[in-house]
Amino acid sequence: MIAHTVRIRLTGTPTGHRVRLAEFGEEIDPLQREQLLAYGLVAQQPLTVLQQRPMTLVLCEHMELALEHGVAHHIWVEEEARN
Amino acid sequence: MHHSPLSPASTPGNSTLALVGHPNVGKSVLFHRLTGTYVNVSNYPGTTVEAARATARFDRTASLLDTPGVLALPSRSDDERATMRALLSENLRLIVQVGDAKNLRRTLNLTALLAELGVPLVLTLNMADEARACGVDIDTAALAGELEIPVVATVATAGEGVAALTDHFAHAKVPAPLLRYDAETEQVIETVSTLLAESVPHPHLAARGLAILLLGRDSEVERWLTTQATGSDILTRIHALAPLAGRDSLPARLARQRGHAADALARTVTQQSAVPDRTLSLLLGKIAVHPLWGGPLLLAVLYAVYLFVGDFGAGVLVGLLEENLFADILNPGIKDFVLSHLGQGWLADMLVGEYGLWTMGMTYALALILPIVTTFFLAFGVLEDSGYFTRLSVIANRVFASFGLNGRAVLPMVLGLGCVTMATLTTRILHTPRERLITTFLLALAIPCSAQLGVVLGVLGDISFGAAALWGLCVVLILLFTGWLAGQLIKGRRVPLVTELPPMRMPVMGNVLKKTTGRLKWYLAEVIPLFLLGTFIMFALDHFGALPWIIEAGKPIVTGWLGLPPEASAAFVMGFLRRDFGATGLFVLGSQLSALQAVVGMLTLTLFVPCIASVMMIIKEQGLRTATLMLAIIMPVAFFIGGLVNHLLRFAGFS
Repeated sequence: MIAHTVRIRLTGTPTGHRVRLAEFGEEIDPLQREQLLAYGLVAQQPLTVLQQRPMTLVLCEHMELALEHGVAHHIWVEEEARN
Repeated sequence: MHHSPLSPASTPGNSTLALVGHPNVGKSVLFHRLTGTYVNVSNYPGTTVEAARATARFDRTASLLDTPGVLALPSRSDDERATMRALLSENLRLIVQVGDAKNLRRTLNLTALLAELGVPLVLTLNMADEARACGVDIDTAALAGELEIPVVATVATAGEGVAALTDHFAHAKVPAPLLRYDAETEQVIETVSTLLAESVPHPHLAARGLAILLLGRDSEVERWLTTQATGSDILTRIHALAPLAGRDSLPARLARQRGHAADALARTVTQQSAVPDRTLSLLLGKIAVHPLWGGPLLLAVLYAVYLFVGDFGAGVLVGLLEENLFADILNPGIKDFVLSHLGQGWLADMLVGEYGLWTMGMTYALALILPIVTTFFLAFGVLEDSGYFTRLSVIANRVFASFGLNGRAVLPMVLGLGCVTMATLTTRILHTPRERLITTFLLALAIPCSAQLGVVLGVLGDISFGAAALWGLCVVLILLFTGWLAGQLIKGRRVPLVTELPPMRMPVMGNVLKKTTGRLKWYLAEVIPLFLLGTFIMFALDHFGALPWIIEAGKPIVTGWLGLPPEASAAFVMGFLRRDFGATGLFVLGSQLSALQAVVGMLTLTLFVPCIASVMMIIKEQGLRTATLMLAIIMPVAFFIGGLVNHLLRFAGFS
C-alpha cells in the first residue's frame, strides 16, 4: 500500500528507479532552469534513472538526457515509498 | 488576431517559408526533400549553425529557410539567436515547425511561443517511424483541431508524408494560442504589447509574441528593439516591468506556464502503448556511455578508423593511385606531352618539374590526399549518422571539465578531425564566449584535420603502429595540458553539461555517401587552388634560389632543435599554407626519415599554424586581435614542443 512520498536527490536515486520530478533547488540558476524546462523537465514529470556514472542519465518520456552531477544533485525527485 | 487567416505575414509578396524546430529533429533532411539542396545532416544537435536558403521544389517562386535548431525560445545561444534573427528579418509566408513525434510535449512547448508570433504555421511531427517504434500514437486530427492549423506526420528520411505536408501549406493559418498566462502576467504582456504596437510596430511579427519574447529577455529581440527609434527607452521600461531577480522571475514563469500547457495538450492527444525495447540500439547506446565500457569502445572505434584510413586509405589506395596510376602512367605521359610541346625551360619546369603544378600540386592533392580524406569522410559519416558523437560528450565531460569546458565541446573537437575550419564555426553551439575561445584555441593548436590526420597515419603507420600511437599520445597530452592551462588562464563561469542523447541508429548509407560527396566537393574546391598556389610559391622560391637559402636559414631549428633533415624546412614553408600540404611534404621524404624524425616532424606540423581558411574563420568568429594572438602563441609553441619531444625521445633511447 502506498503510504507517503519521500523527496530525494536525483543523484541519490538508484539506477532503474522510476521517480517523479518534484522541484529544482535554489542552486540551479535561472538560465539552466529554463534549459531544463525546455527539455521537458517539469514538476511531476516521470523520469527513469538509467545511469549515475560518469553522469546522471535519465529517460524523460522517449528522450535520454545526460545531466552533470552538479545539476542533477540539485534536482529533487519523489519516490513512492512503501510502509 | 490569432485566428485570422490573413496575418500581417500573409501579405502579398512574401514568398519565404522557414523550417523551425528543436535541434536534431530532421529539419535539414526535410529541407533537402523540399528543395533538393543538400545541407549537412547529422545525428547530433548543432549541425546547422547558420540559416540556409534554397528555392522550394513545390513552388519555384518560394524560397525555404533552414534555421539552426532551437532548444527553446527566447533565444539564449548563438544558434538560437540566428533563428530569431531570421524570424525578425524575414517577411515569412509561413513557419513550418518541425517537431520530434516521440517528444510531442517538448515540440508543443515551442509551438506555444511560435503561435504568438502572428505568422501562419504548419506543424510537422517528424520521425513518426521512431514514435511508432516507441509505441507513441498521436491523434494528429485532434491536435490540428486544437491548434487550428495543419498537423502532418512525416518520416523525412524516407520521404513519407512530405507530399501531404506541402499540400497543407496552402491551408496554413495563424494558430490558436495554447494558453493564457496567469492574470498578473497577462496584464504585463498586454501593457508591453500595446507599447510596442503603438510605438515600434514590427512589420511582420505580432506585438504580443514580441512582448512575450522581450519579457523572457530574448537578447536578439532586444537588439532589434534598440535599433528602433525610442527602442532603448521602451526596453528600459520593459525591464522595469519584469525584473530578473528572484527564483520565480518572469522569464522562468513564462517558460513554466508554457511547459504546463504543452504537457496538458500532449497528454490529451497522445496514447502510449507498451512495446518491446529496441534492444540493439539501447544496448549500443548504453555501452557508449558506460563508465567501464565507454573507454574501451572509444579505443576500438579509434582503432577501426585507423585501420580504415591509415591502413586502407593511406596504404592501399594511395599505393594504387600514387605509384600505379600517377607515377607509372599519368605523370610520365603528361611530362612527355608537356616537354614535346614546350621543350625544356622554366614553363615546363613549372608544370612538370620537381615543384611542378601537375607533378607536385595535383599529384599531392589527387593521389596522396584524396584517397585519405575520402576514407576519413566515409568513416566520419558513419559515426556521425550513428549518433555516437553526442554520447562521446558524456564520457569526455570530466576531461573537458578540467579545461573549464563541458562535454559539449567534444563535438567541435571531433568535427575538427574532419575540418578545423567548419569546426571553428561549430563552436557557436557552445554557450559562452569563454567556451568558444578555449575550444577555438585548442582546435587551432592540436586538432589535425582529416587530410593531415590521414597523411600522419599513412607516414607513421608505415613505420609502425607504435610510432602512430606515440604521435597520438603526444597530441593528446599536449591537448590536455594546454586545455588545462587555458582553463586556468581564461577566467569565467563554467556551464555544467545538460544534453539530449539522440538514439543510436543504423547509419543510412545513402546519407553517408551524400555527405561524403558534398565534403569531397568542398574539399577539392578549397584544396586544389591552395595546393597549386603553394606549389607555385615553392617553384618560385626554388627558381629564384630562395629555397636553398630558406633551408639553410631554417637549419638551426629544423636540424638542430627538431633533429630533422634540412629538406624538411621546405615542408614547414608549405605548412604555412595548409598543414596537410606540409605533412605531404614530409610524406614524400618518407624513407629519408627515421621513426623518431617522422614522429617529431608530424607532431610539429600538427601543432603548426592552422590552414589559411581556418585562420580566416578564426578571424570571423573571434576577431583579428584574438586570431593574431593565437598564431603568435601557436607557432613558437609548435617548434618548442617538437624540439622538446625530439630531445626527450632521444634521451629515452627512441630512434
